[in-house]
Amino acid sequence: MAAAGRERQMSEAGADAPVGSRLTDTVAAYSTRALAGGTTIAALFVLLVAGAIFPDSIAGTLADVLTSRNTLASALRLSVPIAFAALGGIFAEKSGVINIGLEGLLIISAFTAIYVTDLTGGIWIGFVGGVLASTLLAGLFAIVTIEFRADQIIAGLAVWLIALGLAPFASQVIYNGPNTPTVPTPDAISVPVLAELPFFGALFSASPSVYLLFLSVALSWYVFERTAFGRWIRASGENPKALDTAGVSVRGVRYAAVLLSGVLAGMGGSAFSLDLGQFTGNGPTMVNGKGFIAIVAYLFGNYNPVGAFLSTLLFAGLDAIQTVLQLRGIGIPRQLIRITPFVVVIVVLALVGRTQTPEAAGDHYESGEE
Amino acid sequence: MATAVHLEEITKRFPGVVANDDVDLEVERGTVHALLGENGAGKTTLMNVLYGLYEPTSGRVRLDDEVKSFDSPRDAIDAGVGMIHQHFMLVDPMTVTENITLGNEPRKWGGLAVDREAAREAVVELSARYGFDVDPDAPVEDVSVGEQQRVEILKALYRGADVLILDEPTAVLTPQEVEELFGVIEELTAQGKTIIFITHKLGEAMRAADEITVLRDGRNVGTVAADATTREELAELMVGREVLLDVDREPAQAGEVVASAADIVVEDERGVRAVDDVSFEVRAGEILGIAGVDGNGQAPLVEALTGIETPDAGEIRFLDEDVTSASRRERIASGMAYIPEDRQERGLVMDFGLIENALLGSQHSQEFGPGGRIDWPATREHAEAIIDEYDVRPPDPEAGAESLSGGNQQKFIVGREFERDPKLVVASHPTRGVDVGSIEFIHERLLELRRQGVAVLLVSSKLEEVQGLSDRLAVMYEGEFSGVVDPADTTEEELGLLMAGEQPDSVDERIDSGTEQTAAADSTGGEGA
Repeated sequence: MAAAGRERQMSEAGADAPVGSRLTDTVAAYSTRALAGGTTIAALFVLLVAGAIFPDSIAGTLADVLTSRNTLASALRLSVPIAFAALGGIFAEKSGVINIGLEGLLIISAFTAIYVTDLTGGIWIGFVGGVLASTLLAGLFAIVTIEFRADQIIAGLAVWLIALGLAPFASQVIYNGPNTPTVPTPDAISVPVLAELPFFGALFSASPSVYLLFLSVALSWYVFERTAFGRWIRASGENPKALDTAGVSVRGVRYAAVLLSGVLAGMGGSAFSLDLGQFTGNGPTMVNGKGFIAIVAYLFGNYNPVGAFLSTLLFAGLDAIQTVLQLRGIGIPRQLIRITPFVVVIVVLALVGRTQTPEAAGDHYESGEE
Repeated sequence: MATAVHLEEITKRFPGVVANDDVDLEVERGTVHALLGENGAGKTTLMNVLYGLYEPTSGRVRLDDEVKSFDSPRDAIDAGVGMIHQHFMLVDPMTVTENITLGNEPRKWGGLAVDREAAREAVVELSARYGFDVDPDAPVEDVSVGEQQRVEILKALYRGADVLILDEPTAVLTPQEVEELFGVIEELTAQGKTIIFITHKLGEAMRAADEITVLRDGRNVGTVAADATTREELAELMVGREVLLDVDREPAQAGEVVASAADIVVEDERGVRAVDDVSFEVRAGEILGIAGVDGNGQAPLVEALTGIETPDAGEIRFLDEDVTSASRRERIASGMAYIPEDRQERGLVMDFGLIENALLGSQHSQEFGPGGRIDWPATREHAEAIIDEYDVRPPDPEAGAESLSGGNQQKFIVGREFERDPKLVVASHPTRGVDVGSIEFIHERLLELRRQGVAVLLVSSKLEEVQGLSDRLAVMYEGEFSGVVDPADTTEEELGLLMAGEQPDSVDERIDSGTEQTAAADSTGGEGA
């Protein structure tokens, strides 16, 4: 009987565990992120101080690179495709459809934007063309996963592989080579006075795509935080049945979210190739894994548009610093920088336990099923 | 008083099953109506018809005397019917207010933004009106289950519900929360709302309802006023007793103790003792029956005995060995067969054919799985033997389990388990949802095993079954044995009392007579009377 009593006490103590552990998870998630952020800022501070005192040391070079507006400018440029794709990924996954085909959407829109620009001569027409191509492919993905209940991961891989094959093939047919000819690039837009600022000036003298990205990040945040549609997307990914019984079509919400992910990824892909003026289709194409880094970025940003943008900036910033350092003769292997995002995300996911993945992400939903 | 809800001659058929058979139900406005019945009696199906999730095969739904036809819950909601499901339809990370207003968010700026102040105010005002205690800004995942239930109720009220259906509302609540819920229900009816709540617990129906309708096997077997009925009457209505089985059986030749349980305690996920200090023995060549209204601890007791769950306290012995923490595999190997309560969930793999299903539980045996390689020809022969011996139709070993009728699925499981040459058979509701022919067949087989000297533990909520087959009969109530009796010597009225947790005087003296040496059961029941 004593044993029985002990057992009972133990399980009474554990009775509140679900709520409690979720709370601690949340706290742990925030505090780990805060800790990582704090450590980074402290390290940066030390580095900058050391750099200021010993300008000729490695620390000095690093500090110089870090504070250069060119570094920020190129980080922003590198962020554009990744951040747009990450925003798209957030919309899809929050609604319950995991879209790992973002890479494919970037590739197809990058090619189409150049092709249409080459045909019509209009950069903005090309941009819209790229977005349409990506949306179309996302629409196909939506039909296959929502209508025909295909496995989302496999369908997403298919989207990537289709685009990976289709874009260079189309280029081969049209231009007799995996690379397209070059087209004019859009002019940078400079905000008077602000563009002259040291370092932060890079924010005010950039390609239109960078401004479009700022706008999209803000709008996405607004949609999720303030609109009914944003709530429906969240509910659709967390507990579709709750949304369904509340009288909102889960199918409709998921279609809209996946199409939106196509639009956003398309904007990223189009802006990426148009800013460079060319599509190069060798090997993994010019997109080269940016769609996958986008997934990492939004996971690291915990499905928050602003968080996803900041983590993109971090990854892109590392890449930019690496490039500059190569030029200055401090060689950090490029491959090492390339894998950083993936290492970071594995460490974060392992330490934090889990990012707050939508409960029903990856599950099919059929109205009226028990 | 006016009739708020009137279901007329509702029949709902699913392929092969009649879930509701010509059910009539009338509920007065401003009252609480309990829908009482065992699992599978058709309560939830009936309410899903009212809520527009199912279309009835025939019959009509009237609200305030007006015939309605609902294509979806949306229509039902618009007509003022709200349903609070057993599993809450809430979005965990969203706040209480966000959940309540989901799908009907107040808007501002021409619909571009949710008017969060207005939403919050609506929730505060609504919960104040009904005296609910909820925090509008808390994420749902951080509030108690009782509060989540109030959020569900508020959600229905926010949508303008006049009739509220609560599906097993107390199943997930602690006793204190149950009291709070009953308070909420009183407040709601005082303000003119009509409540229908589904339950299989007699006490709750009597405590909270004005009227009680009992469903059994999909039929309405009686509607009574809560203050004019007794627990015994309700228990009898629920379990039924019209068919008294005519079982030929010779007296038991009880032999050695095959299995025994001592002071078993199983706690559910809320920490409540679902099985509270139960002890018993089963001997070779006897059938020990366990009767009782569903949900009084029979299922967790069986799970502890068969090794699906480990008891929180106590000891289980099988063939003179302590098997308390032995795995299912070890128990199967040593001769414990098990006919599970839910054959489609636990007894069969529905997507598999009968050959694969015949293998289940024997995949490690020398006979069918020597050296980790499955001997399919032998398995096929085994499946054919079961089909032949136990009259499974259609007699096709390749047939998918899902293509068989319920009765034939059950006969197949019974065959598979009995062919293991068990020392003990644990049969949990072996004839639930099975046609009459198959019932007789299964009963005969159980008696045949008994003749062969196998120990049988038979759990059933069908009184005539446990009474007709058992040599000794234990009655379970709220996790305890409220009595162990000689079934031949006990009336249904007495069993009814025991099932309701009361101790009939006449039984006390008889408990020990004839069962003296075997009835080690702890019969300290009698609470809740």
